[in-house]
Amino acid sequence: MLAIKLAFKNLIGAGLRTWLNVIVLSFAFVLIIFYNGMFDGWNRQGIKATIDWEIGQGQFWHPEYDKYDPYTIQDSHAPLSDQVKAEINKGNLTPILITQATLYPEGRVQSGILKGIDPKQNILNLPTADLINNQDEYAAIIGKRMAESTKLKVGDRVLVRWRDKNGTFDAREIQIASIFRCDVPSADNGQMYMSLPVLQKMTNMEGEATLIVTGENYSGAEIENWNFKDLNFLLSDLDKIIQSKKIGSYIMEGLLLIIALLAIFDTQVLSIFRRQKEIGTYIALGLTRSQVVGIFTVEGGAHSILAALLGAVYGIPIFIWLDTVGITFGGPDMGITVAETIYPYYSVGLIISTLILVVVSATIVSYIPSRKISKMKPTEALKGKLQ
Amino acid sequence: MATIKINDLVKKFPVGKGHFTALNGINLNFDKGEFAGLVGPSGSGKTTLLNIIGSLDTPTTGSTIVLDKSISELSNKQAAKLRNKHIGFIFQTYNLLPVYTVFENVEFSLLLQKISAFERKKAVMMALEWVGLTDKAKSKPNMLSGGESQRVAIARSMVKKPEIVLADEPTANLDSKNSHHILQTMKKLNEELNVTFLFATHDEKVMQYLNRIVSLEDGKVVSDEIKT
Repeated sequence: MLAIKLAFKNLIGAGLRTWLNVIVLSFAFVLIIFYNGMFDGWNRQGIKATIDWEIGQGQFWHPEYDKYDPYTIQDSHAPLSDQVKAEINKGNLTPILITQATLYPEGRVQSGILKGIDPKQNILNLPTADLINNQDEYAAIIGKRMAESTKLKVGDRVLVRWRDKNGTFDAREIQIASIFRCDVPSADNGQMYMSLPVLQKMTNMEGEATLIVTGENYSGAEIENWNFKDLNFLLSDLDKIIQSKKIGSYIMEGLLLIIALLAIFDTQVLSIFRRQKEIGTYIALGLTRSQVVGIFTVEGGAHSILAALLGAVYGIPIFIWLDTVGITFGGPDMGITVAETIYPYYSVGLIISTLILVVVSATIVSYIPSRKISKMKPTEALKGKLQ
Repeated sequence: MATIKINDLVKKFPVGKGHFTALNGINLNFDKGEFAGLVGPSGSGKTTLLNIIGSLDTPTTGSTIVLDKSISELSNKQAAKLRNKHIGFIFQTYNLLPVYTVFENVEFSLLLQKISAFERKKAVMMALEWVGLTDKAKSKPNMLSGGESQRVAIARSMVKKPEIVLADEPTANLDSKNSHHILQTMKKLNEELNVTFLFATHDEKVMQYLNRIVSLEDGKVVSDEIKT
């Protein structure tokens, strides 16, 4: 307690020198929390968007289906059992049939994926009801990215060629019923959503699907001959992207922290160099060398406590404001799942872990130069002689 | 019973490949309540001897017994405890802690002794009263004159009511008027509280007040004169 009391007294007494260090450290503090809050916010929004728009609460895949291997699509389809149909009717599952296609927008050639989905489904946020409302039976909805890459607008017709169950090519014009906006590129880029019964008819795959998306109310029961893929598996790509981005932020945070810690280290070295007479006086008044080391270490480490308090003074209002307005990155075309506006998420765990990181590292860099005191001769220190 | 007993004390400092002998075969005893001084030119070993008595340094050979404790056998912790409870220091350059007020400077030793805040305040105000500085309790050291600073240093050394006060050139930075004021204060405390005062000095003004003058030269005692 005494060390803490004396350390804070000395720290406040040091005036501008202390506050410069505290300001730099508080920047590091606030920016570390900000960066991590951004990534956590992105992560949470990304997960929610991916669940809402693409994967639901998990998916049952046809055993042949491999998301990363387009050659598996042709053979990845199977009829749905009565048990599955019953769940579909209850709104707990929705099947999706997938087939490869070639699009010819304005005479250009573009490859794409045709996905047949139940227009009445409510599991995914896709505006599939637009497929029913459209007058043309052969209608599709596409995302904004797809619309931009194909230069298609609502009401446009585009020639699409596909292969049916037997591998026979067929083609016809499909009308764009609506264009949706979502933050999940993989649910948008190259994807064209049609009514499931229509696509089944087009491909001669009546009653069949490639995968089945589960809703929140699905019991979780296994479906024979279909492989369940849970959220951990389906979100692993997003996790990997965020982790890789986090490494960049760790480097940035590390650099910020190093700058702040160097300032503390430098202050400690200077302090011990300049305050030898004071150190000698402490010893003469009855402190042991290790107690003096303790005072100087706590003094250096206390920078981080003051930085946390200062950071809270200007950081909390900024964080509250950012939480309200979010940070807009300009558009949904970054190629990764990221919301147009990210709302940072500051968890208690994040704040506590950052506090511990900064306090512990500030204390360590304060201790390193303070060890020199334990080797000082008090008689020399009292005279202020350099040792 | 002697408060300080020094037998065959030798202190050598390494210099290059050899060594410099600062104290060479010192034998001295100081009794309780003495107002004594170690006098001699610079380099005669006064401060070195004072530092050893104050447990800030240790002898190379020989023994120094302070309040029945052998300085060379004390651990760091024991030496710190001895200084904190029983020995007061007064330095030539006052050595006040710059960020603390006068009150806090004087209070410092008591904080280490875990005395209650009420008792600390009482003791500090009494010590400041001894040196006539109660009105400066809230001042910072940089607001004090040299004489006032040294009086604060005296109050700081006396607040814990030590058995021994070691004063190293206490008047060296003071003018004549302040020097006499300081010395009168210390003499008064010596008489009233029966504290042993030991000075290291070559100031004639200090010598006027001393009851005993031990002269050192080249690390040896050349005379030991008791005034009657």
